[in-house]
Amino acid sequence: MNLASTLCVPLAPRLDTSGWVDSLRAIVGAESVLADPKELLAYECDGYTLQRHPPTAVVLPRTTAEVAAVVELCARLNLPIIPRGAGTSLCGGVLAVEGGVMIALTRMNRVLALDVRNRRALVEAGCVNAWVTREAAPHGLCYAPDPSSQPACTIGGNIATNSGGPHTLKYGVTTNHVLGLELVLPDGSVQWLGVTPDGGEDVEGYDLRGALIGSEGMFGVVTRALLRLIPTPTHWRTFLGVFDTVDEASHAVSDIIAAGIVPAALEMMDRLIVSALEEAYHFGFPLDAGAVLIIELDGLPAGLAAQAGVIEALCRGRGAREVRVARDEAERAALWKCRKRAFGAIGRLSPNYVTQDGVVPRSKLPQIMQFIQETSRRHDLRIPNVFHAGDGNIHPLILYDEREPGQVQRALAAGHDILTRCIELGGSVTGEHGIGVEKMDYMALQFTESDLDAMRTLRRVFDPDQRCNPHKMFPGSKRCSDFAVRKQAHA
Amino acid sequence: MRLCPANLDELRHALATANGRRVPVTGWDLHALGALLEHHPEDMTATAQAGMSLADFQHTLAQAGQWLPLDPPFPKAMTLGALIAGNHSGPRRWGFGTARDWLIGISVVLPDGRLVKSGGKVVKNVAGFDLCKVFVGSHGTLGIIVEATFKVLPLPKAQRILQHICATLEEAGALLERVVGSRLHLDILDLHRLPGSPPTLVMGFGGPQEDVDEQCQALSHLGICQPGDMEYDGLFHKWPHRKCAVMPSALMDTLARLEGCAFVARAGNGVIYHTQGPPAPPATAPSALQQRLKDAFDPHHTLPSL
Ligand SMILES: Cc1cc2nc3c(=O)[nH]c(=O)nc-3n(C[C@H](O)[C@H](O)[C@H](O)COP(=O)(O)OP(=O)(O)OC[C@H]3O[C@@H](n4cnc5c(N)ncnc54)[C@H](O)[C@@H]3O)c2cc1C
Repeated sequence: MNLASTLCVPLAPRLDTSGWVDSLRAIVGAESVLADPKELLAYECDGYTLQRHPPTAVVLPRTTAEVAAVVELCARLNLPIIPRGAGTSLCGGVLAVEGGVMIALTRMNRVLALDVRNRRALVEAGCVNAWVTREAAPHGLCYAPDPSSQPACTIGGNIATNSGGPHTLKYGVTTNHVLGLELVLPDGSVQWLGVTPDGGEDVEGYDLRGALIGSEGMFGVVTRALLRLIPTPTHWRTFLGVFDTVDEASHAVSDIIAAGIVPAALEMMDRLIVSALEEAYHFGFPLDAGAVLIIELDGLPAGLAAQAGVIEALCRGRGAREVRVARDEAERAALWKCRKRAFGAIGRLSPNYVTQDGVVPRSKLPQIMQFIQETSRRHDLRIPNVFHAGDGNIHPLILYDEREPGQVQRALAAGHDILTRCIELGGSVTGEHGIGVEKMDYMALQFTESDLDAMRTLRRVFDPDQRCNPHKMFPGSKRCSDFAVRKQAHA
Repeated sequence: MRLCPANLDELRHALATANGRRVPVTGWDLHALGALLEHHPEDMTATAQAGMSLADFQHTLAQAGQWLPLDPPFPKAMTLGALIAGNHSGPRRWGFGTARDWLIGISVVLPDGRLVKSGGKVVKNVAGFDLCKVFVGSHGTLGIIVEATFKVLPLPKAQRILQHICATLEEAGALLERVVGSRLHLDILDLHRLPGSPPTLVMGFGGPQEDVDEQCQALSHLGICQPGDMEYDGLFHKWPHRKCAVMPSALMDTLARLEGCAFVARAGNGVIYHTQGPPAPPATAPSALQQRLKDAFDPHHTLPSL
């Protein structure tokens, strides 16, 4: 049984669907419209499961023209639209808070063209992240942003959340790798923003593509994207640094950055994560280690050898008891596979968990990790950590059991403490997962009313009616949980 | 009206007043807002007021062994505000991109005098919409940038610039293809032709000494071993010039059409700066969305038009 679904009641009377569902069917075909409550259940939430609400209907278009026609119909009928990719968002980014028409891009999933000479790929928005690199790899190219969810998440979702991944430490996040995109604006008109597939890199006028990236589906529906590809690194060295404590590992991370080395990736996993992963995948992780670091260098062979020595010395200087080097590509791949499946292994530790996504200045890593340990004790909840240490982007996974009275509240309180501390340390409440419905209230802690107003101004440029993915991002937006609390009080 | 505020409050007040009275503001001088505010070498981030010159900023960073890897011409005359407002870059664009890629936080005074910020001081951050991108390259048409935070990098341990003088553009084009197709890690990949000089391909790279030596060797196998420098860039940019951007694969055809004129091309990126040549295509009117953005942030058009 799911806690949130029992707590969360529809906010508004269900939208009157008379007639318009048939109009949707007329545009995309009957097999591409879902309106049966049972079918809609699959679309009631994303990777953030504390709140749920199904849309009124889901459409699965196959072309930009279909998307535009659907959006135009919704504009005429004043219906909310909710763009959706694979639904792996961890912040409730695709929650249909007051119902509405969900536009799922999963059938628009092709790599349309690869331009090897110009290192570009043209893809449909529903294209799965990992497929881009799969297609580009035979040409010695790859798409750099590599979120751990890359076997499932879509380029459209990556664009909407400005996704990062382990290797964005060196190569930059989504906004550094999306050259241009096709957008269906909330009025149904279609615009290309940024670099065109056959155009040069510098575009006249404002960087509207940049403004759109990270807008969490609130500016329109992305239908195609032009991606920058980079040469696949040919030489790398991947280390596993084994530490007795999280504190030692955190200091080693700070030391590496302070030494002026920018690894391709620098990730930390603590004891709980390592043991869950070991149980699931038998990689050969040391079970008694307090924390491990995955450190990857790439570059030219000569320089790699020199930097490798420095990395090893820095780790040992902070008490690493072992620094292993991946022997070959197979071992390296196995290590990354484990890292990227870490969230999945949490199921072995706990029936429920909530992932936080705070950021601190990198030198504050030891402090925030200490604070997380205290928070875990204070709220009597286990909080394993697996995260992008080199960027200061933490992912404490707060474990709870929704069947135990009070645990949900404690999990929420622990998350609140950690994110508030991130802000106090000069950081941010989200490094890559987004605000969505989950973190709306932190916006007022991190930004002034004027800052938020400027964001609202930008939103109205794209969506004057604020009909696209409503009730997200801004504090004070309507939410399910307002009702959840009330209902619980009655119970 | 030109603004020359003594401090931030004065700027906010002066801009709001001009806006209220519908007096167009044509320019501003922020030399009074030129301080470095924070530099945390261990975080590889730095924050400065927008009136600070790029050269001064680089100088401060260098004392801690770091830099902002952007090298537009005339860094003494270029403020950080101008760097952002023009989304500038220099020869190292091939390796390091433009101002857009390094800016992580910004504070701006809007025409009504309000101070707004976006982003922050950490290298990864998706809280809120990315207003940094709205102001990068906006040429001062939406607000006045007063403060910026950049991610920075350690200075490379070693650097080298090599060049190859080509007899013809065709020869340069053929060599360029070989370089692009190689596994070299270049930061600079420029092709220039200054008045009276032959086409010259310039390649620059940096990193650990071992890397630099290895790349020198690889380039010498391509017959490239003559030492070069970046002086051509400053020299060229003193002359009136235009810019055009094409797909990298269309670079050589475009250069061929420029006939006799002088140029500096970011050959890897397909960006060409050139003296006279074919008449510039008529400026296209801003799209409705572009105009809406301008009207939303500067409703009375107090700031220069886009
Ligand atoms: C196991 C796991 C690991 C993860 N690891 C990472 C990680 O390492 N890095 C990281 O950044 N994230 C990570 N995430 C979060 C998530 O995968 C990313 O946010 C991803 O980009 C979402 O893509 P999606 O296709 O699933 O989008 P969805 O979840 O469907 O949607 C996410 C947001 O994008 C909008 N959207 C989707 N498609 C479009 C479109 N075509 N046009 C306009 N808006 C659109 C939605 O409205 C919503 O606001 C992880 C999630 C899970 C479950």
